[in-house]
Order: sequence, then structure tokens, then C-alpha cells
Amino acid sequence: MQLLPEQVAKALVTESFHSRRLVVGIFVLVNAAVLAAGLLWPRGYTASTSILVDERTIIQPLMQGAAVATDALDRSKNAREVIFGRKIMDLVLEYGGWLKGKPSEERERLIEEIKKRTAISTVGKNILRIEYHDVDPERAFRVTEKFAELFIQESIAAKAAESAAAFAFIEKQTQDYQDKLARTEGELKELRSAALDVRAGSESEVTTRLNDLNKRIDATMQELREAEVKEASLERQISGEAESTADIFREGQYRVRIGELQSKLDTLRLSYRDTHPDVVQVKQQIQDLTDGLNAQRVRPEKTKRDEAVVNNPIYQQLRREQAQNQGTIDALTARIAELQRQLQGEIGRGKRMHSGDARLAELTRDYQINRDIYQDLLRRRENARVSMNLDRDRQGLTFRIQEPVTLPQSPAGPRFWHFVAGGMLLGILIPLGLLYARLQFDPRIRISSAIAATHKLPMVTVVPHLWSPAELRGLRWELVALTLVVVATVAASAALSAMRFIKVL
Amino acid sequence: MSKIEKALSRARDGRSNLQVVPIAGASTAPPAGTAVVANSAAHPETIPRMAKSEVRLLGSGDLAQRGLIQPQDSEDPAVQVFRELRTRIVQQSHGQNAVILVTSVTEGCGGSFIAQNLAAAFAFDMGKTALLIDCNLKRPSVHRLLVNASVPGLADYFENPDLDIKKIIHPVGIARYRLITAGARREILEEHFTSEKMKHLMDTLRRRYQERFIIMDGPPMSKIADIRILSDLADYVLVVARYGRSTNSQIANCLNAIKDKKLLGMVFNEEPRIPRIR
Repeated sequence: MQLLPEQVAKALVTESFHSRRLVVGIFVLVNAAVLAAGLLWPRGYTASTSILVDERTIIQPLMQGAAVATDALDRSKNAREVIFGRKIMDLVLEYGGWLKGKPSEERERLIEEIKKRTAISTVGKNILRIEYHDVDPERAFRVTEKFAELFIQESIAAKAAESAAAFAFIEKQTQDYQDKLARTEGELKELRSAALDVRAGSESEVTTRLNDLNKRIDATMQELREAEVKEASLERQISGEAESTADIFREGQYRVRIGELQSKLDTLRLSYRDTHPDVVQVKQQIQDLTDGLNAQRVRPEKTKRDEAVVNNPIYQQLRREQAQNQGTIDALTARIAELQRQLQGEIGRGKRMHSGDARLAELTRDYQINRDIYQDLLRRRENARVSMNLDRDRQGLTFRIQEPVTLPQSPAGPRFWHFVAGGMLLGILIPLGLLYARLQFDPRIRISSAIAATHKLPMVTVVPHLWSPAELRGLRWELVALTLVVVATVAASAALSAMRFIKVL
Repeated sequence: MSKIEKALSRARDGRSNLQVVPIAGASTAPPAGTAVVANSAAHPETIPRMAKSEVRLLGSGDLAQRGLIQPQDSEDPAVQVFRELRTRIVQQSHGQNAVILVTSVTEGCGGSFIAQNLAAAFAFDMGKTALLIDCNLKRPSVHRLLVNASVPGLADYFENPDLDIKKIIHPVGIARYRLITAGARREILEEHFTSEKMKHLMDTLRRRYQERFIIMDGPPMSKIADIRILSDLADYVLVVARYGRSTNSQIANCLNAIKDKKLLGMVFNEEPRIPRIR
């Protein structure tokens, strides 16, 4: 059955009264136990300090852009490694006076104890907090201070070593690049002196000359082609002149004769019929002559030059021109050959110049890159030198005590009055809790409404305990006694607190 | 304390109980002990007549010693509770007299305490009388109310056919409060409850006074056979459970056994109460 809060409260009150002796007994026992615990609880003092740590490592800004720094590890883990290192722990053991009269075998145990009492944590991003707990406030103060001091010392030394290493590394890199630069410069010089014509700007000259040569070759070729055409033409003219002179001469004879016969025929036809033997004869003659003329026209073989042709002035002039033209052709052919040779020479030079240019470009590029890196490294080297000097002279503000150690005035952990208050509270809460547990888990009914609800039965009445006068008298004495017990318990707690406060206990 | 002071104190205690006792009625009325069933209805002034047979009334100290409520403590929650219970029963019986069986869930639940005080509550009402019968023959307790416990009771009545009913009815020392003890011989068998004699006894008792309420202090519910017989004789049954003792399963068992329309309900006894201490 689900109990309402007010039912539970009422039941707890009546149960507490019902089991009053048990409640008071538990109250006294709990208080006694907690007070005893408070008296036996070791007193301890905690001293703490916080150190502001610069976020950046030395290599990171130096190598910005040129190299990638590795991720920084967890700072508190690093600090723990440094502080709990054998070197610092040995120093602290000696400083804290633990080693006096103790055999060295206990050293490990002592170190482990100190480690357990030391807490190293990070507050925010850059602040490292060191806490140390000890029974002696003075020693807690001194050891914490020593921890901070040694940690800073060790870290600064480590940092100086780091910056020195960084400087050495950059120095070596700078030297390497310097050598590389000098080598490239030497190669460039060699290349330049080896090919004097191979220098910047000569490419355009070559191109111009190549173009010029090509143009001239083209022009000369054109002229040659013209001369050859003229030669062919002259040749044709010369042969044509000779043939036509002979042909014209023979045909003329045929045509004169045919004309004469035609006249004769016409005259005969005036007197005679066509069948007249004379007419027929003349006709036959004309026919023969016509056939002869036609035969003359189709005759294939070249007419042999004869004297008439040779003596033809046109022919002679043509022959002269032909001889001249032949001379021109020969000259042009020779010129073309010369121009071709020159062109090949220029092409070879151009090719040579290109390969030289590529090498030159490569060397120049190497030279420029090396020079840039070298200059950058020079600058970085100077930065590294400054950082190294700063670290060497402890001028770098990478570690700073943010909150100095103070001598702990009051003990850490629960105080005696915490135990007193806790005892009172627990002395009330534990019996109530037990009663509540009994209420919840004991099958015996303590709440009347539970019966009615469970069994669907009318609850006629709830009869409270009938107190007889004798019982009441007994109860009165009992309550007085129980009150005295409670008061005595509280008074004892108060007395112990007071004694603890004035440091009697 | 001197003897005189003791005497004064006793007299004062005695008065507190006497206050509710009405003055004795007309002298014409026959003595209470001789009253018979037949003429009881014809004598409406039976209660005043009853007063004649009262023994010396108990003082508040005696009542407290016997674990009985005291009428003058009207502010006492226990007294109020029994008065409410009485009123409820009267309402339930519509003003008629009734036989009420009081039984416990288990031994030690305080059924006898409830029965005795319920009877006292009826007796405190000047218009009613109460008769308490100890039906718990194995563990009788009612006789403790009497100064002289060795008086004839129920067992003697069953065993001795000649014993008159009036011989077993004894005044307690509270006005209008009578009781019948379990009797001297307690080894009788419970089968007597089913006998005609028992029925005759109940009828006689019921009819003797119309304003008489009979309360039977029964055995615990573990004696289920007895409870069934006794509940037949009763008009109402009250079951007593005790704080921090009775469990739900015990109550469930009782209710399964009884299943009776006569069941008036449950009385939850001995709930702790923080008294006002002066």
C-alpha cells in the first residue's frame, strides 16, 4: 500500500514514541561512535600553490609555417612526470627531513606516501595547481613551496635545453641551405660562361633570323620557279618558231598552186562543162593539191631545222634569252642551297639555346627557393638565438607563481565540529530510517487505514493505548531519564568540541 | 499518608463512579436478583431496581487498575473511542438491545480489553445496562474484574442443571455492569455452546432487560469452530487487530473464515498515543 507523506510522518512520530528507548539508545550509540571517529581522525594540513604556465612551446612559434610541432601533452600529466621524477622526489625527501635516521630501504615507501598526499591538477588552461597534504602545517608549507620551486627550475632547465636544441637544429638547417645556395650559384655561373650565346634575349634574335631566312628562301624559290617557267616557255617558243616557219613555207606553195588551178578551173567552167576532160583534170589536180596540204598538216615528225629556221631572227633572240634564263636559274639554285644551310645552322642554334634555357631556369629556380628558405632560416635562427638567450638568462616569462604557498592555518578535511554535527544528525536520521524501514517492510500492521484499504473492511474504530495512572507515572520517570541521557550525550559532544577547540585534546 | 487521608481519597474515588449511578428507584420494585423474563417488560424501571443489587462501586484507581475506562475522563481519547463504538452499535441495532461477540485476530490482540471496556461504555449510559460473558474458556480473563474471582460462572452453569442464572451474574462495581465469568471449572468442552442450555441462557439474558447489551468475550479467531458457534448466538461480531502484531495475512484468514453479514467491522487496538503528562 502506498502511504501518504502525512501518514508516514504521523506513523514515524508514534513509532518513535513507541520505541523511544531504542531511538534514544541508537542516538547515543551513533553519537558515541561518530565522536570517537572524530577524535581518532588524523588531522592534516593542505598547502597549495598555483603556477601560471605559458601555453606555447619554444619550437612552435619558431617553426611556424616551416614545420609542424607535435601536440602538447596533457600539462598536468607532464607536471606529474616531472615532479614525481626521482630527481625532484629525492630532493624533497631530503628537504622535508624524512631521511633523518631512516634506512634507505624506506625511501621507496616514503616516496609513494608523498606521492599519495600530493595532488597535481590543472585549473583552466594554463594554471597548474600543486597541493600537498601533511600532518605538520609547517612541513606542508615548505614541501609545497619546494615542489613549486623545483618544478619551475626543472621546467626552465628543460625549456632552455629545448630552445638550445631548437637553435642547434635551425643553425644546422641554415648551414645546409647556405651550402646548397652556394652550389647552385656555382652551377649557374658555369652554365652562363659555357654558353655565351645562350643568354636571355637571344631567342628572339634566332627567331627573327629564322623568319628572315625562311622569307628569303621562299622569295628565291619563287624566283627560281619563275625562271623555270620562263625556260619552259622559251623552249616551247624556240621549237614552235622553227616548225611554224617550215609549215608556213610549204602550205603557201600548196595554196598558191591551188589558187592558180582554181582560177583556171573557173575559167574553164565558163566554156566547158564539168565533164569536160580539162575541167576534170583541173579538178583532179586541185584535189591532189588539197590532199597534199592536209597531209602536210598532219605530218608528225619534226621538221628538220633547216637553215631558214636557224637564220630566223626571232629564233635567235629566243635562244639568247634562253641562255640568259639558264644562268639565272643556276644562280637562284645556288642561293637557295646557301640559304638552306644558313637555316639549318640557325635551327641548331635555337635548339641549343632552348636546352640551355631549361637548365638555366632550373638552376635559377633552385637558387631562388634556396635563397628564400635560407633568408627565412636566418631570421628564425636569430629568433631562436634570442629565445635561447632568454631561457639561458631566465628572462622568459613561461612560468610564474600565480598563487604563492601560504602556511595552512586550519586543518583540511572534516573538522571535529563536523563530526559532532554529523553525529547529531545521524543519531536522529538512523533511528528514523530504521523505523521507516520497519514501517515499510514489517508485515505487522501499524497504520490502521492500511487494513481498511487492503481488506475492503469497515474500520469500526481505532483504540488508542489506555494509559493507567501508574503507567503514566512510570512514563514520566522514563521520559525524564531519556531526556537526561540525550542531554548528557549532547553535553558530552559540546564538551569534547570545546576541549578540541582550546586544544586540550 | 495518614489513614484519614486514605479514607478521604477512597471516598473521593468512589464518588466519581457513583456520580453516574442513578438513585435507587421505588421501593415497590422487587429486588433485581428475583427479576424474571416474564415480567421484565412490565417493569420499565428495571434499571433503578438493578441498583439495589450493586456492590460497592469501584473508585477511579480500581478502574484504572483493572484497565477500564473512566467516565469522568471524557477528554481521554480512549473513552471517546468506546463511546463512539457504543453509539455506532446502538445505531446499528436501531435502539434494540443486542448481543455483540468480540474476538481477536490472534491471541494477545486485546479482545478482552475491548469487550470489557465496550461493556463499561454501555454501562456508563444511564439508559442501558451491560452484561459481559467470558466465552474464552481456555484463557478466561473477565474474572479479574472481580475482587473474588472464584464465583460460579458459565462452566458451572453448564455442569450444574440446578444452578439459577442469577447465581452466575455478578456485579462488578460499576453501575449497570454485570458479568458472567468462564466459571471455576475451565476444562469444559466448547460443545456446550451449541447446547440448548446455552441458547436458553442467551434468550433469557437478552429478554431479562430490554436495555441490556450483552457482550461476549470470545476466543481468538484461531478457534474458528467456537467463533462460528458463538457468532450464531450474536447479533454483531467485532474483530480486534492489534497495532504492531497483526498482519494482513492473519486478518485475511479471519475474514475468509467468518464471511458473515454480522461482521460489524474491525477494531484496531493499542495504537500508541502520546499522553499529556502534567
